[in-house]
Amino acid sequence: MSATSGTTSPRIEARGVTVRFGGLVALDQVDLSVPPASVVGLVGPNGAGKSTLFAVLSGLLAPSKGTVLMDGQDVTGASAQARARRGLARTFQHPELFPGLTVREHVVLAYRLRHTRHRIWTDLVTAGGFRRAPVDEDRRTDALLAALRLTAHAHRPVSGLPLGTSRLLEIARALAVDPGVLLLDEPSSGLDARETDELATTLTGVVADHGVSLLLVEHDVELVLGMSDVVHVLDFGVKISEGSPAEVRADPAVRAAYLGADHGEERTSA
Amino acid sequence: MLSYVVAGLALGAIYAIAAASLVVTHVSSGVFNFAFGAMAFAVARFYYFLYVEHGWPLPLAAVVAIGLFGPGLGVLLYAVLFRHLRLRSPLVRIVATIGLSVALPPLVNLVLGQLVNVTAPGLAPQPVAVFRPFGTVVDMNQLIIYAALSVVLVVGTGLLRYTDTGLKVRALVDSEALTAMSGVSPTRVSLGVWAFSALLAGLAGVLVAPTAGLSVDGMTFLMAAAFAAVVAARLRNLPTAVAVALAMGVVTSVIQRYLDADSALSAQIVPSVPFLFMLVFLIAHALRGRAGDAPAGGALDRAIRAEAAGAPTATNRSGFVAPLVTLGVVACLPLVLDDFWTGLTGTGIALATALLSCTLVTGEGGMIWLCQITFAGFGALLAADLTANSGWPPLAAVLVSALCVVPVGVALGLLTIRLGNLYVALVTLTFGLLAQNLVFLRDRFYNSGQGIYMPRPEWALDNRTFALLALAVFAVLGLFVVNLRRSTAGLAVTAVRWSEAGSRTLGLGIVPVKVLVSAVATFVAAVGGGFLALAYQSALPDSFNPFTGLVWLAVLVTVGARPVVGALVAGVAFAVLPSVFQTYLPTRWAEVPVILFGFGAVMLARNPEGIIAMHARQLRDLSRWRQSRREPAIAQGDLA
Ligand SMILES: Nc1ncnc2c1ncn2[C@@H]1O[C@H](COP(=O)(O)OP(=O)(O)OP(=O)(O)O)[C@@H](O)[C@H]1O
Ligand SMILES: [Mg+2]
Repeated sequence: MSATSGTTSPRIEARGVTVRFGGLVALDQVDLSVPPASVVGLVGPNGAGKSTLFAVLSGLLAPSKGTVLMDGQDVTGASAQARARRGLARTFQHPELFPGLTVREHVVLAYRLRHTRHRIWTDLVTAGGFRRAPVDEDRRTDALLAALRLTAHAHRPVSGLPLGTSRLLEIARALAVDPGVLLLDEPSSGLDARETDELATTLTGVVADHGVSLLLVEHDVELVLGMSDVVHVLDFGVKISEGSPAEVRADPAVRAAYLGADHGEERTSA
Repeated sequence: MLSYVVAGLALGAIYAIAAASLVVTHVSSGVFNFAFGAMAFAVARFYYFLYVEHGWPLPLAAVVAIGLFGPGLGVLLYAVLFRHLRLRSPLVRIVATIGLSVALPPLVNLVLGQLVNVTAPGLAPQPVAVFRPFGTVVDMNQLIIYAALSVVLVVGTGLLRYTDTGLKVRALVDSEALTAMSGVSPTRVSLGVWAFSALLAGLAGVLVAPTAGLSVDGMTFLMAAAFAAVVAARLRNLPTAVAVALAMGVVTSVIQRYLDADSALSAQIVPSVPFLFMLVFLIAHALRGRAGDAPAGGALDRAIRAEAAGAPTATNRSGFVAPLVTLGVVACLPLVLDDFWTGLTGTGIALATALLSCTLVTGEGGMIWLCQITFAGFGALLAADLTANSGWPPLAAVLVSALCVVPVGVALGLLTIRLGNLYVALVTLTFGLLAQNLVFLRDRFYNSGQGIYMPRPEWALDNRTFALLALAVFAVLGLFVVNLRRSTAGLAVTAVRWSEAGSRTLGLGIVPVKVLVSAVATFVAAVGGGFLALAYQSALPDSFNPFTGLVWLAVLVTVGARPVVGALVAGVAFAVLPSVFQTYLPTRWAEVPVILFGFGAVMLARNPEGIIAMHARQLRDLSRWRQSRREPAIAQGDLA
């Protein structure tokens, strides 16, 4: 994979990222890196700055200070769409779906944006709207829908989908661009225990089969600790801990942060 | 000099009252009232009805019209319309009030009778007393206007600052959800707000009538000018709105001191002053990135809003049968109808092509552009100019001029890309008004209202051949739009429309998509304009008035802004129905179709899909229901 650079540079990396909203420091000098083919967890109480860090990494928000690198190259000034074309995909805490499209069309659009991008323009002169979809597009789309158990919903418009299903669709859409690194913001909220297990299996499979790196934000701390190779802990915009799941679990600073938050105790100490 | 300032302040004070009304309703109910001019007209017309036509004493007529009828109208409209709008998408909110602005004036005319060129009295007793302080001239009407603004400001500020209701209004501004939860009824407060703002609309209408004329055009112009002050105030800041309104009035008046009153330049510049103001402020806001949609309260409000915002519950990938049948029926019309009706049908089909651009930009792209008619006008004038003055073949002229107009549309698209929906609507309307004043009314194009002669191609001189030619062009462009919608580009357009963050993180840039939509829509509009000119055999600047464009939009959304045949049905209906009413019913009923179209758009508040889409869905539901009775097992899971 990393034959060109000799050392393996992280898929995506934040260096000294600071974000201020007026007087509020939402992120303070945060460093974080996601090596290839690994799962990195990011946890922290409500308002810790996790979603803000996602916005910075994905290019939707410019940091007040600090840099973002993808595969060792500085992309701080690059647009969200440029980063997406470099292989970054993400989901949102509040799903950003397209209510005018069906479930399947979400995946089709994402697939085409990655594999047959020119069709946005060429379809207009080649009557692309009236032709059948190519076989490999159909195959890949159907496989993704099946993997995330969306086949039954394929032709439904997305407004009115339950939250859990919307999340699965966001993941399917993100995977359809064959990303190198995938950022997931609370993918399991809205899913029941069985669906969460299935999702974890699917995601682990994606990492193993396609070498995709995951950055995972979760309130379900057990899920993160179970899946991740490395876990980072944010509190009030500051990174208070980093290490293997076992190390983080044992870190007194983490326990203190979660005890300070109103609902985290039994999750971290379990 | 002083006398110009005195006159300007009077004009500015009327603008200020209008702007205050617009700001108050926008801030407290989230509805930007495009029907303000129509409401002002209704009240002013009723005042004229009482005072002049029925000889009521002035104070009584004023109190009944402005103090009772106005607020009553506001309350009524709140109950039947505005109440439903708060949680609708910006598109529906804007289009529904536009529908009201289209329907209300002809309705008033139908009930109270049409007036032509009357001199309307203001609130001053006749004959109007004139005073001469400090070597300048002030008349009683002007004094009353100053007094009216002062009273409005004092009472308004007092209400907002010091009363319980004012507190509730300000709470409502922040969050309806919170207000509702803490026990204050938003309904009662909104009712009060609409009554008050309708009173202001009526007052402004009565005050402006002596100078601007008691006409829909005069009132609509007043409203459009007040828009400028409201935009300057970023839609919410009342003191700024009032200050800018006064400044606009003064500038408009003082500028006349330096212009030759009879010159063409003066006729173009003077009415453009408010729109130039608006342009300056819009650019300033856009540059500072402060012209997004006003943030809508907290997370709870946003959640409620998104739920009710008219997100489609079904995607329209409708079949081919209904469109083909419609196309076939329209194609038969020129073959069976006589020459008069065939001519109207041809005009309707040409109009349908222009409406197709609204289908694209609004129905598909979700952008509220109110200047498609202006692009059509550009296309028409340029094509006629090339044909008549440079001897081009007509069809080539239409095609080439449409291509020449495209960059204008693209530039406007790029300019408005970062603006919220409401600002886009306002910018495009302003652009249309400016184009009307500065381009369409130039002698070279206007030609005392006759426009520029536009000959048809020699082989399509008769109405029948022309109608079929126009239909063929519509069919080609319609197919192009259908293909666009079903293709990757269509998916991309829909994606960008509903979530910019979602699109960008998929690698889909916003700019190329919006440029594509605006380029194609502009081209289609300009071709439609060219064909309208061919239909009339003249490029008539008057037929491309932006306010007529609002009626176009009302017709289109009434029929359905998404289906391509919606544009065809709307265009033909718009061109043919008024003549049907005129021919077979008493003359005064001629405006009834316009009233119906307006109310059709108003109905959008209840049913955001439009008529065709609604009935198509009902038909589908019906057939599905029958099918499911026949084969219950199969019909179960498949909702496609
Ligand atoms: N656009 C914004 N403007 C102002 N403040 C913001 C903005 N976005 C986030 N914040 C603030 O920044 C802080 C971090 O927010 P963020 O959404 O990143 O937290 P989070 O860790 O994702 O929390 P949660 O677990 O609730 O999703 C919060 O205090 C939030 O209120
Ligand atoms: Mg978050």
